[in-house]
Amino acid sequence: MHDDLLSIEHLTASFRIGDRYYAAVDDVSLTVRKNEILAIVGESGSGKSALAFSIMGLHTRAKIEGDVRLDGQSLTRLPPSKMNKLRGRDMGMIFQDSLSALNPLMIVGSQIEEALVLHRPGLSKKERKEKTIELLTQVGIAGPELAYEKFPHELSGGMRQRIVIAIAIANEPRLLIADEPTTALDVTIQLQILDLIRKLKSDIGAGVILITHDLGVVAEMADRVAVMYAGQIVEIASLSTLLSNPQHPYTRSLLRSIPASREPKSKLYVIQGIVPSLQHLPRQGCRFRSRIPWIDESAHEEQPEMHEIAPGHFVRCTCYKHFRFPGEEEIRHGAS
Amino acid sequence: MLKLSTNKASPQARPRQPADKSPSGLSIVWREIVQDKIALVSFILVAAVTLFVYVTSLLLDQDQIVRVDLFALKQPPSSEFLLGTDQGGRDIFGQLIIGTRNSLTIAIVVTLLTGIIGVLVGLVSGYFGGTIDNLLMRVVDFFMILPFLMVVIAFITAVPNYGITAFTLIMTAFLWLGIAKLIRSKALQEREMEYVQASRTSGSSHLKIMFVQVLPNLSSIIIVTMTLNLAANIGLESGLSFLGFGFPESTPSLGTLVSYARNPQTLEMRWWIWLPASILILVLMLCINNVGQAVKRAADARQRKG
Repeated sequence: MHDDLLSIEHLTASFRIGDRYYAAVDDVSLTVRKNEILAIVGESGSGKSALAFSIMGLHTRAKIEGDVRLDGQSLTRLPPSKMNKLRGRDMGMIFQDSLSALNPLMIVGSQIEEALVLHRPGLSKKERKEKTIELLTQVGIAGPELAYEKFPHELSGGMRQRIVIAIAIANEPRLLIADEPTTALDVTIQLQILDLIRKLKSDIGAGVILITHDLGVVAEMADRVAVMYAGQIVEIASLSTLLSNPQHPYTRSLLRSIPASREPKSKLYVIQGIVPSLQHLPRQGCRFRSRIPWIDESAHEEQPEMHEIAPGHFVRCTCYKHFRFPGEEEIRHGAS
Repeated sequence: MLKLSTNKASPQARPRQPADKSPSGLSIVWREIVQDKIALVSFILVAAVTLFVYVTSLLLDQDQIVRVDLFALKQPPSSEFLLGTDQGGRDIFGQLIIGTRNSLTIAIVVTLLTGIIGVLVGLVSGYFGGTIDNLLMRVVDFFMILPFLMVVIAFITAVPNYGITAFTLIMTAFLWLGIAKLIRSKALQEREMEYVQASRTSGSSHLKIMFVQVLPNLSSIIIVTMTLNLAANIGLESGLSFLGFGFPESTPSLGTLVSYARNPQTLEMRWWIWLPASILILVLMLCINNVGQAVKRAADARQRKG
């Protein structure tokens, strides 16, 4: 499709543990369009951040296979110097922990300016400062001149996250990757930051990859959602489809585990077990198998593949057809 | 960048500055030194000695001082020779000044050189890790297993024009190792910090991250190590000179002055030859160490007094 900003094809990022390679991101294919927010959801350790780092080309010790294309330009085969030019200019990244993502010994002003120095050498010192103040205003910091001179530890968490965002959008990137941008913040600030990201997205028309484990954030922000489990994408659909008609057992379990404030003290659904670590991933079959042991083995595919069950709605493995929660009697079927 | 400005303009004088501007690195160090009376006295002493030695040595003629004067051998302190003369009739006071200057210069140059080499090697090694780290650390290990004293002795015997430059180089060749190891271990920690990754996402090159991002974060540890090394290097130079592997007699240093005490007669009867230099070494090393401890505390917020 011509309006695909980013297309990832069969991306695999493997890390060496001992003398073997283990794939933390396994055969991931997805696309991000312009002016679209794609949310990637999953538990801790499901490979969300590894995927983000692979797209940015930040893994120095990983073996990367497959292809990442930004506006048709392949990133995986780009030499490091070209990649450096692209990072920060065409793609920006927002980090989870703003305190550690900022250099503690640099005033925030010069940290924002750094992105400008690297990609806009034409700007004079004065213009750079003006642009930085403008960026600070843009991300909603009151008193930008004051904030310019501050060190990261002198700012509050919400302010710091705004600085991190200002750095990421300094050069109006076409692709913005937000790696759990609100996890370290409290709820009131969360909303402001999310609003800010959404506003910036439409201002600069960027494609956004929003990585999170918070389904509330997803419901608030995303246009489309990809659910990741153990390095693979298990389900991908538009937001409304995914919320109203989730198919993969993992997606359904995730949605069921959201604590609901309306029903206090009701027992929370817990997915059994944990995400298997890289070394203990099953080589064959459905990776979610071990966490839904009450489902018959024959329900799973031997080599689970993505099935398009409705236009734009993909689900991995056939186990979704036979999945029910414990205590749930009737078996739900396919897309309705 | 670490701000090292000593701008103490009050908020009233510059109303546009926020009143709660964080203190700069140097002002924290200074506050710590002032809080610690011993460190303050030490600092003043070191500064005074250094200043006095460098200024007066400009007025003294080294050739004249080290010239043998047969009419003034082994004289006790008098109004003509403030600290007497040695067995060559040379003025001890003049030698003390020139010697202190030489010792200090050597110590400072060696500290700076070892600092630069050590920080560079350590930073590259720690930041990149992997094969580069392995390679550089094996070089460090190689130098470390060489017996320092023996190599110095062999070097001095082998080199024909043995002087300040040669001495500085041989000291430097061995003393950067510790700093390199220290900086490497810190850089290994630092490169895992998220701000390093964050800086890469805005497109910074490795070189830029290394020197603009990581290096300032190691500055406190570098300053502390260098200060403490300075004291150690004065001691080391004196020690080598005392053993006879320091400077030639024509180049007085604190160590050469003390080494005259190897002669039992001098040791017993002519204290003015070796005692002032010994005291000066003691005072300098102690004082620099005291200042170094204060700087060390300043570098770690938990240990600060002020």
